[in-house]
Amino acid sequence: MATTGPDATSVVERVDPAAMGALSFDGEEPTVTVEEVADRSAAEESVLEGDADLALVGGPGEWEVLADGSPPTTLLGAVSDVVRTDALAANAEAAGTSVTELTAGTEVRLTDLAEVTEDEGMPEQVTFLLGFGFAFLFYMAAIMFGMQIASSVVEEKQSRIVEILAAAIPVRQLLMGKVAGNTLLAFGQMALLVATALVGLTFTDLDVALPGLAEAVGWYLPFFLLGFVALACIWAAAGALASRTEDLQSTTMPLTMVLVVAFIAALNLQGVWREVASFVPLLSTLLMPLRILEGDVSWWEPVLALVLVALFCLVTILVGTRLYQRALLHTSGSLSWRKGMRLSE
Amino acid sequence: MLELRGLTRRYGDVLAVDEVSFTVPRGAMVGFVGGNGAGKTTTMRMVMGVLAPSAGEVLWQGRPVTAGDRARFGYMPEERGLYPKQPVLPQLTYLGQLHGMSAPAARERSRDLLERFGLGERVKDKLETLSLGNQQRAQIIASVLGDPTLLVLDEPFSGLDPSAVDQMSELLREHTARGVPVLFSSHQLELVDRLCDSIVVLHQGRVVAHGSAEQLRAGAPLRYRLTMAGDTGWVRGVPGVEVLDVDGPTAVVAPADEQVAERLLVDAVARGGVREFARVVPTLSEIYREVASV
Repeated sequence: MATTGPDATSVVERVDPAAMGALSFDGEEPTVTVEEVADRSAAEESVLEGDADLALVGGPGEWEVLADGSPPTTLLGAVSDVVRTDALAANAEAAGTSVTELTAGTEVRLTDLAEVTEDEGMPEQVTFLLGFGFAFLFYMAAIMFGMQIASSVVEEKQSRIVEILAAAIPVRQLLMGKVAGNTLLAFGQMALLVATALVGLTFTDLDVALPGLAEAVGWYLPFFLLGFVALACIWAAAGALASRTEDLQSTTMPLTMVLVVAFIAALNLQGVWREVASFVPLLSTLLMPLRILEGDVSWWEPVLALVLVALFCLVTILVGTRLYQRALLHTSGSLSWRKGMRLSE
Repeated sequence: MLELRGLTRRYGDVLAVDEVSFTVPRGAMVGFVGGNGAGKTTTMRMVMGVLAPSAGEVLWQGRPVTAGDRARFGYMPEERGLYPKQPVLPQLTYLGQLHGMSAPAARERSRDLLERFGLGERVKDKLETLSLGNQQRAQIIASVLGDPTLLVLDEPFSGLDPSAVDQMSELLREHTARGVPVLFSSHQLELVDRLCDSIVVLHQGRVVAHGSAEQLRAGAPLRYRLTMAGDTGWVRGVPGVEVLDVDGPTAVVAPADEQVAERLLVDAVARGGVREFARVVPTLSEIYREVASV
C-alpha cells in the first residue's frame, strides 16, 4: 500500500492481516507492506502502475483510498475498519464517553447448529445415501436371488427331475434347502458389499459417522435376513406355479411389482407415513435401519418391527410351502396364484 | 413285500384309481398293464408318495410305508428327466446322496453303472449332449442307484433300443434275484409276458385281472384250431361246439369242454386227413383285450 504521510502509514500499519480473513491460495497469511510516497500524485502513479494495490491519502476526517479498477475488498475492508475504529474513538472522547461503553451490548453471539447436531446424528447426505444403499441392496438381492430360486424350481419342474427328487426326499426339505442355500448366498454377498462400503468409509472424512452406522447396520442384518427368507418361499412358489421358464415372467410379476413399489415407497415416504411404513414387513427392512440411523426411534420400535417381519416370514413360509408342494407336480401348463391355492395335494 | 390296500385317488369328480389292491412279493417281478389313462401312473405315484391317496394305504413289510422307507425305493417316473445342463456323474452322485448314500459310495456306484451301460467315457459330459438313448440309460442308472429295496418303474422300456431293453431286463432280474420286489408298467405286453412272475391288469382305475400269465391264460376260454386236407365246414353240425371261424381247410372252434374237444377230434380222424389239431393259447394282448373290453 502506498501512503502519503505518517498518519496514513500509522493506519495501514495497524491493519491486522488475520482480520482480512481469507487465506491466499498457498495457505499463507496475507501480509501488508507500507510504502510512503511523496504526495498524492506519486500515490496515484504507484497505484496505476501496479506497484501498490491501494493508496491511502488525506488525513483524519478526510481519508481517501485510491484504487485501480477492482480494489481488493478484504484489504479495503481492513483499512476501513482501522479508520472507523479511530474515528469512533475520537468521537467518543469528544462526547465524553468511551468506545467500550458505546459498543456495549452490540455483539451477537453465534451458535452453529450444524456443529451441535453432528454428535447426535448423521449429515443429511450420508443418511440419504445410506437409505438408498440399504434399500437398493435389499431390492437387488430380493430380485436377483429370488429369480434364481424361481428359475431353479422351474428348471427341475421343466426337466421333470422333480418327480425323482420328490420320491427320494420330502418336497418340504427340497424347498428348505433351496431357500437356505440362496439366503446364505444373498446374505453373504450383501455382507461383503456392506463390509467393503464400511472399510471404504474409513478412508473418507465421513468416518466420524462410523459408530452410529455400525448400529444401523447391526439392525439391518436381521431385517435383511427375515425379509429375504419371507420372500424366498414366495419366489419358490412362483417358480412352482410356472411349468416352463417362459411362464416365469407372468408368475413372478406380482412379486416384482410389490418389490418395486416397496422400493419406491421407502425412498419417498415422509413423516408419519414413513414411521408407520417402518413397521410394515419388507418396508421395515428398508426403513427401520434408516430411522435408527437418524436416531429418532425408541428401543422397542425396531424390536416390534422385527417381531412383525418374523411373523410375516412364518406366514409366507406356510403359504409358500403349501403352494410349492401342490403346484410342483402339476406339469400341464402354468397356474394362477388363485388356482394354485386351490390345488389338492 | 409291497402291498397296496384299497388305494383310491380322485381328481375332483374323476375317479382315477378305484380301490386298487395287490401285492408285490419279495423277489417277484410284477407287470402293470393297462391302457392310457387306466391309472397306472397315478397308482405308482401314490406308492412313491409323490401323490397323496384319497383313500387306502400302501404297506411295506406289513406296516404303513414311511418317508424313510421310500428314500430307499428306486423310482423311474413316467416323465423322464435329469438336470440337462449338469455333467452326468455329479448329478447321479447327488441323486445317490439323496437316497442316503455317502458321496464317495454314490460316486463309485454311479461310475460302475455308467461303465456297465457303456457310458464310462461320458461321465464328465453334460446330460444334454448325450444321445436320447444314452440319456435313457442315465435315467435307468438314476433309478437303481441307492441299492434300492424296491423298484417302481413307470414304462421303463419305452424308448429303449433292443440292446438297452436286454440290459434293462438283466438289471431287473439281478434285483429280483437279490429279493428286491419290482413293479413296472409297460405297453409292451410280450415283454411283460416274458419277464413277469405276475401281471396286474388295470382298466379305468380298477384291477380287472391279477395273476401269473398261466393263470390268466387258464381263465381264458378253451379254443382249438383244426386243419384238415378237405373242407372243415362239417364242424358246424357238431353239438357243443361253437364255431368261431371256418376258412376252407382250417377252423377255429370253442368246444364247451375238453370232452367235447376230444369227440370232435375222433370225428375228424374218422373223416380222415387231419393235419393239425391244437389248443389255441391266447397271447397276453388277447387276454388283455378280453378283460379290458368288459
